[in-house]
Amino acid sequence: MDTSKLRVSPAPHLKSGHRVRPAMLDVALALLPVSAVSVYVYGMAAVQILVITVAATLLAQLAANAVWGRQGGLGDGSALVTGLLLALCFQAYTAWPALVIGAVLAIFVAKELMGGLGWNRFNPALFGRAGVYILAPLVTALTRTFGASAPAVDVVTGATPMVALARGLPMPSKISMLLAHPGGALAEVSALAVIAGGAYLLLRGHLKWRISVGMIAVVALAAAVGGRDPVYHILGGGLLLGALFMATDWVSSPVTPNGQILFGLGAGLLTALIRLAMPPAEGVAFAILIMNAFAPALDRATAPLRFGDQRAAAPAGRAA
Amino acid sequence: MATAKSFPGGVHPPEHKEATEAKPIERPPMPKQLIVPLHQNIGAPAEAVVEVGSTVRRGDVLGKASRPVSSSVHAGASGKVIEIGPRLGPAGADVMSVVLEVDSQSDQTAADVDLAVDIESLTPDTIRARVAEAGIVGLGGAAFPTHVKLAPPPDRPVDTIIINGCECEPYLTCDHRLMVERPADIIQGAKLIAKATGATKIILAVEANKPDAAEELNRAGQGMADVEVMVLPTKYPQGAEKMLIQACLGRAVPPRKLPFDVGVIVQNVGTAISVLEAVAIGKPLIERVVTVTGELVKEPRNLLVPIGTPIRALLEMCGADLTQDCTVILGGPMTGIAQADLDVPVVKGTSGVVVIKARDAVKHLACVRCARCVDNCPMRLMPADLGIACEAANWARADKLYAQDCIECGVCAFVCPSLRPLVAWFKTAKAEIAAMNRK
Repeated sequence: MDTSKLRVSPAPHLKSGHRVRPAMLDVALALLPVSAVSVYVYGMAAVQILVITVAATLLAQLAANAVWGRQGGLGDGSALVTGLLLALCFQAYTAWPALVIGAVLAIFVAKELMGGLGWNRFNPALFGRAGVYILAPLVTALTRTFGASAPAVDVVTGATPMVALARGLPMPSKISMLLAHPGGALAEVSALAVIAGGAYLLLRGHLKWRISVGMIAVVALAAAVGGRDPVYHILGGGLLLGALFMATDWVSSPVTPNGQILFGLGAGLLTALIRLAMPPAEGVAFAILIMNAFAPALDRATAPLRFGDQRAAAPAGRAA
Repeated sequence: MATAKSFPGGVHPPEHKEATEAKPIERPPMPKQLIVPLHQNIGAPAEAVVEVGSTVRRGDVLGKASRPVSSSVHAGASGKVIEIGPRLGPAGADVMSVVLEVDSQSDQTAADVDLAVDIESLTPDTIRARVAEAGIVGLGGAAFPTHVKLAPPPDRPVDTIIINGCECEPYLTCDHRLMVERPADIIQGAKLIAKATGATKIILAVEANKPDAAEELNRAGQGMADVEVMVLPTKYPQGAEKMLIQACLGRAVPPRKLPFDVGVIVQNVGTAISVLEAVAIGKPLIERVVTVTGELVKEPRNLLVPIGTPIRALLEMCGADLTQDCTVILGGPMTGIAQADLDVPVVKGTSGVVVIKARDAVKHLACVRCARCVDNCPMRLMPADLGIACEAANWARADKLYAQDCIECGVCAFVCPSLRPLVAWFKTAKAEIAAMNRK
């Protein structure tokens, strides 16, 4: 019997079939419903945002790989997911320089500068979106320089639901916010579409659901305590996208069950504070980014007790 | 029959047991040659007591236990010693071995010998002595000398014997067949083990995917107040001692402690039969059941073969297709060792030879912190962080993350979407930490 084809590799010799690429493609698939509704509501404006942002993100990944001599990001699907998430954080009619700056910040600074997929401390898409917010003067200047069409602010939508909520303006109906309502970022167009995506991730076993539950619960509770309508606070703004897709980002959130719970509670609390105390502005994004910084510390503080550790819940003891 | 609780974590790998679970154990013709390693157990190796040219009969001692924690080895067939020297062992390293040219007239012990034994008349010391003489080690894979396990320290009273019939490794069915075909012998062996250790209760633990085995054991144990069959929900790694004790009794063995610290001794079903055979008829551990299976094996079978049978002979008997890239595993696919050569023998701890298509060699990715390993680790460790420490060769950090508590079940690497070779790293880490601590 010939032994030349024997291949030696370490145990286990069976694998579960979980792989990074299919998981990333699942996330992209889960973002399809909300992307579709945004196109339905905003038409070509949404298509432009999605195409430009995803293309810019993929190109940024290509360039970053050349700079650092890496191969990741494209084949594993992570850049596609970052691009989609980033696009959904922008309002329709955002001029392209903002999208490109967001993509570059996400890939170059948040991801590859930290070491590439797996080493990023912050969620790349949120980092890119927040960066664009902070660098607003630069973005405006670039937009003028390139003569890119300036966003026609709110000509279509009027005040976004979150602005209306903060200013005490009349609110759209809850049903329309759930199904399809213009205003805010692309992802805010339909709560139901985002929830459907989250449900798909949960079904596929990709969702760190403890984070989502904690975050949404705290925001709702804080709104109720603050005398606001919790339903509007859940359906409006970026909470659902944040709680189901951003805060649950594998790399930048804790791995321990208790760490995930604390992370979700913290992100919810910060979101509520920002929303109630400050003008409506990327509350969810900053809340999650701040919690990202604490993820490693949360993991260390909540490391599970080893099997049989005496401090664990008292074992049932010897059968009598 | 009772249904038990479970243990934390764990996974459900595809079982692949259908190819052999209904196939009765067969005794194939003797191989022409046996390669019998002198070191098949945890602990010290045996010392050769034969010379090149010696003629031996089936059952004769080839090597004698050298230390308290050691185990004798015996001839699985009559024949002539043609070589004593280092030969490739199943763990990938050379082991001092006795090579026997098998006498073509070598008889096989008749299958229907009388194994009746009067347990009441035996003392624990007698049982232990016969077990030691027979060179019995745990047949579940760990190969710890059984006579040592049957002598718990006096300050650790043992109340329960768990007979491990989980066989949670995919593909393997040797224990399954033993439970179906020899349930009464398993129970008799368990009673001897209980007698040797002073235990008063025997639990026969079977996973729910082997209902016929549970039924046979139940029938054989009917009317015995001290014997209970427990059917456990199928989950890997249920057969790991600590997991099994937790599932059966709800007792958690503390870190770095042993089952007898919670009053339990766990023995594999095959070991129980070997104990009975040793005590009843003085038969040494010279043969065992091996499941030869896998997608590239044409005629998968459960074979009762002498210890020392080269796996080449087994694969020829069962028809393995080795013309494509393949992996020949000694043991189960979750914890077994891939072989680079076929002149490696079946040893006491060899439960199966599994031949499957080789996985594509894909470079692993960085940890993406999906948390699947943390969720599923039955020892409640943090494989994600431990893997990162190991990749950086940071052994001090690996020690702090409890690398030494890893039971190497393979669950973390099984679920890892980045295909990180976590268990391989953890094995290295354990060796490095041990070396560090010796300094």
